[in-house]
Amino acid sequence: METETIDNLGPADLVIGLLEATREEDTRSGLVLTREALSGLPDIQRAVLICRNGAAPAVPEPSPDQPSVVLYNLHPPAAAEAPLEAITTAYRSVLGYGEKLDARACGIVASSPRSLTPQWIRRLVQPIVELGFDLVAPRYPRHRMEGLLNRGILSPLFRALYGEHLQNPLGPDFGLSGRLLRQLLENDTVPRHAGASVVVSIASLAARSGFAICESSLGGRNQLSIDGLNLSSLLAQVLGPVFLDMERQAAFWQRIRASRPVPRFGSESAAAADEPGTVEIGQMIESFQLGSRNLGDVWGAVLPPSTLFELRKLSQLPAAQFRMPDDLWVRIVYDFALGHRLHNISRDHLLRSITPLYLGWIASYALELESAAPPDVEARLERLAVAFETGKPYLVSRWRWPDRFNP
Amino acid sequence: MWDQVGNSLSHSMAEMLNRFAGLLPGLAALVAALFIAALIAWILGVVLRRSLKGIDFDRRVQRWGFGALADWSPGRSPTRLLTRVVAWIVLLIGFLVGISAFDATLTSHLVERVFAYLPNVLAAVLVLVAGNIIARFLARSVLIGAVNMNLQYAGLLAAGVKWLVNVLAVAMALEHLSIGGDIIRLAFGILFGGIVLALALAVGLGSRELVSRSLDEVSRTSRQSKRETVGHL
Repeated sequence: METETIDNLGPADLVIGLLEATREEDTRSGLVLTREALSGLPDIQRAVLICRNGAAPAVPEPSPDQPSVVLYNLHPPAAAEAPLEAITTAYRSVLGYGEKLDARACGIVASSPRSLTPQWIRRLVQPIVELGFDLVAPRYPRHRMEGLLNRGILSPLFRALYGEHLQNPLGPDFGLSGRLLRQLLENDTVPRHAGASVVVSIASLAARSGFAICESSLGGRNQLSIDGLNLSSLLAQVLGPVFLDMERQAAFWQRIRASRPVPRFGSESAAAADEPGTVEIGQMIESFQLGSRNLGDVWGAVLPPSTLFELRKLSQLPAAQFRMPDDLWVRIVYDFALGHRLHNISRDHLLRSITPLYLGWIASYALELESAAPPDVEARLERLAVAFETGKPYLVSRWRWPDRFNP
Repeated sequence: MWDQVGNSLSHSMAEMLNRFAGLLPGLAALVAALFIAALIAWILGVVLRRSLKGIDFDRRVQRWGFGALADWSPGRSPTRLLTRVVAWIVLLIGFLVGISAFDATLTSHLVERVFAYLPNVLAAVLVLVAGNIIARFLARSVLIGAVNMNLQYAGLLAAGVKWLVNVLAVAMALEHLSIGGDIIRLAFGILFGGIVLALALAVGLGSRELVSRSLDEVSRTSRQSKRETVGHL
């Protein structure tokens, strides 16, 4: 029924997917915001807005002075579906409809609709429609303890592998050109049960295939707070597809030697002022020490003896002196990616066992930047990204000769 | 009288030598069977080892999710384990063939019973191997989950789960071998109950720790209104 309706819609210049718009009021406000956003884009005559509240598709009256925006609703996510899996399914649907409607550009917003502004939508699609870019990746203002998975692993790893500086290589909000989305769907052939995620492939495909990439500053977004157990699930759900993508694209990234910044659009709004509060560093260090005492066997299946030795030394340091060196953290991430490829132990065990190490890295990062100003934070993250690039020969050597090259 | 003693001694000596001579062909057959079996075992072992190395069996076993097999293989090599198992099975068969060459009713009966018992032994070995692999997998799952929940008793919990599954596997294997009967059932009940009780205590103590920590966190949050949040994505 959905396909019939979407077929009847006819071609559209732009497809906007609001993946978290699952309530009636989100749909209504999304429609208003999209209309407002499109008023600044004269090239767009017809747009389709896709929400997910499952209500019957509605075609609002076109107004003569505004581009026509057609509303289309997908089924809401099933209760049993994991949130990240539900987002991936919705991504595929929106991309599929973008291709079916022969859209010139597709904007996908997976952040909470409460963060959404007309500017947010405009900045996602304007560089594509007016400047010919193929991928618009998001930039968000963040204070020092936000987006740590992106800052500590995803962004520097992507930079080292594919040579492009992106703050959020996994979005979740993206603007894509029609060309890119068609190629993405052509390449999206890995079965879903294999753990691949289309969200992970977007930026890596764009970088590999020479598509024009840029970043747009979108504005602040809400962060979800996650407890210890959910954190390990989150790490497994995010890092699993990232490592899998790394495995599939090994032939490409082994040839990349340098990196470059991508063009940026939009003025960066300042992050909400850092609260002079405290982070539970003690608990994170405790978690790391507990992991160090108990997970030696599991870590030993992926980490070389020298790394294990350094981790043991680190676990014996008093909290005030607790610092995880960048090169150690880089080798840990690379060795886990390699362990994922070699399948030495169950992949789920492997990915969940990184949690105490990640908490150890956060504790070290928080201690180091306890009273740092925003520029110092950025400088610190740049040093980490450079460490990922400097450590890449280690990854390449271990990837090529996992048995022979084992320091 | 001394003549009679001498006669009976020489008679019994002759009889014993006759019997021993009667056994010699069987003994020679046993030695020959063992020698041939050893030769076949060696050839099979070499061929199997080379073939398994050719297909990178050790790596494949890990990739198929049986990494635990390496832990109790000689030299951490499942290839070597499989080769040795095959070689010992061939040797055992050779030994049984040799034994049957004695052509005594007792030995043929023994061989018959051993062969009839063999499926039970194989089933018991399979149960033990599967039990061990499952025990290790579950123990690791529990260990990682408990560490991520910050439970100080993580190691104890994991060990409890491992022993629980291992004890269950051993009891099932003994049941297959028809060894022990009621004693095994009784011992299994006591051991299993003991481990469950120990686990319940550990979980109880761990939960107490969890509850107190979360209560502590709630009160601390209410006291420190400016606690910084950590965002991951």
